[in-house]
Amino acid sequence: MQILLGFIFGFLSSVGFGIVTNNPRRTLMPAGWIGAIAWVIYIVAGWYDHGVIMPNLLSAVVIGLLGNLAAILVRAPVNIFYVPCLVSLVPGAIIYDSMKNFTLGYDNLAAHGLIKALTVGLSLAIGFIIAEAISNKIYPPLKKYLEQKNR
Amino acid sequence: MDSLDEKDVVALCGQVGAVLLENGAETSRVENTVEYIGRAVNLPIICHATMTAVFVNSEKSATTRIFKVRVGDFNLQKVDRINTLSREFSQHKMTFKELKESVTEVEYDTSDFNLFEKCLGAGLVSVAPMLLFKATWFDLFLSFFVGILGYLVARVVGQHSKIPYIAVAMGGLSISILAHILLDMGIASSANNIIISALMPLVPGVPMTNSLREIIEKNTISGLVRATDAIMAGISIGSGVVIGQILIKAVLGG
Repeated sequence: MQILLGFIFGFLSSVGFGIVTNNPRRTLMPAGWIGAIAWVIYIVAGWYDHGVIMPNLLSAVVIGLLGNLAAILVRAPVNIFYVPCLVSLVPGAIIYDSMKNFTLGYDNLAAHGLIKALTVGLSLAIGFIIAEAISNKIYPPLKKYLEQKNR
Repeated sequence: MDSLDEKDVVALCGQVGAVLLENGAETSRVENTVEYIGRAVNLPIICHATMTAVFVNSEKSATTRIFKVRVGDFNLQKVDRINTLSREFSQHKMTFKELKESVTEVEYDTSDFNLFEKCLGAGLVSVAPMLLFKATWFDLFLSFFVGILGYLVARVVGQHSKIPYIAVAMGGLSISILAHILLDMGIASSANNIIISALMPLVPGVPMTNSLREIIEKNTISGLVRATDAIMAGISIGSGVVIGQILIKAVLGG
């Protein structure tokens, strides 16, 4: 149940942010699927690891791999898939919370939140680097195959 | 291809870089695309992009141009179209003149989803999956509409005011006021959950992650600029929400 709901809302949220950032229409659906899968990965990883690093890292790796694949299939820059898929994982709410504490004068809570936001952001970024390193090795043959097929 | 004016090529490359950067492409992609176009016309070009300017230099002579950039919101459609154009150009499916015309067309193009679709999108983002099992269903349902309102306010203020960060601050303010009113009327059960959920379209999470990615890729300057921008946006949203809270307390005496 949790997975099904997570899948649906991950999908909706990715498509929604795709509309807000004015994605080309042909990339909305792939971005939605990738966002949904990444969110399911996040939930499942959260069952086995209660920290913030592993779930975010794993879902970023998944977004990176699938995003690069989709970029080849749909012929679009990779960033177009990264941005909408990231929106549900990203530490936006934590940054906001920490800055709210900063405004209210709770410096300790603010520093705690900022470091947590940096941790989440860094684990997402490292996940992307890992995925890019893998896909740079895997996907070029696939790309060549597709180009030959289209000819 | 020899008849091309070097200055023209450099100017066009700078234009391409500026459009890409303004609409949310990463620095490395901007530099690669520009150098790619240069190679396609046999003119070696060096491009250096930071978040505030694009430098384009032709290696054959001392032609250098600097383009100032004001990084704005994401508009990934433009990034995609420029990308398609540069690919077609480097495969020689398109002449230089055509490329120039289409780049200018993309730069001033305002094609977008219509307002209803935008609102729907913002509303969908506002139902944060992060809160699915922490907030009540009715709160999430409310935050769908609160999020749309916040997005609309931020958009309208952004169109009418050139002061940076005021748009997101006003968005945060209106979301906070509405959430607290809903709480005081006894409709919602937690103002904080609604606020966090409804802030999702405004909050600078994606720029933060992109900035860390750029720092890891050693584009340190643009990474730091993006990170500072994200933190400033966070501060203004936070202050907006707090001001809203104080206002509501003063008016309703909560």
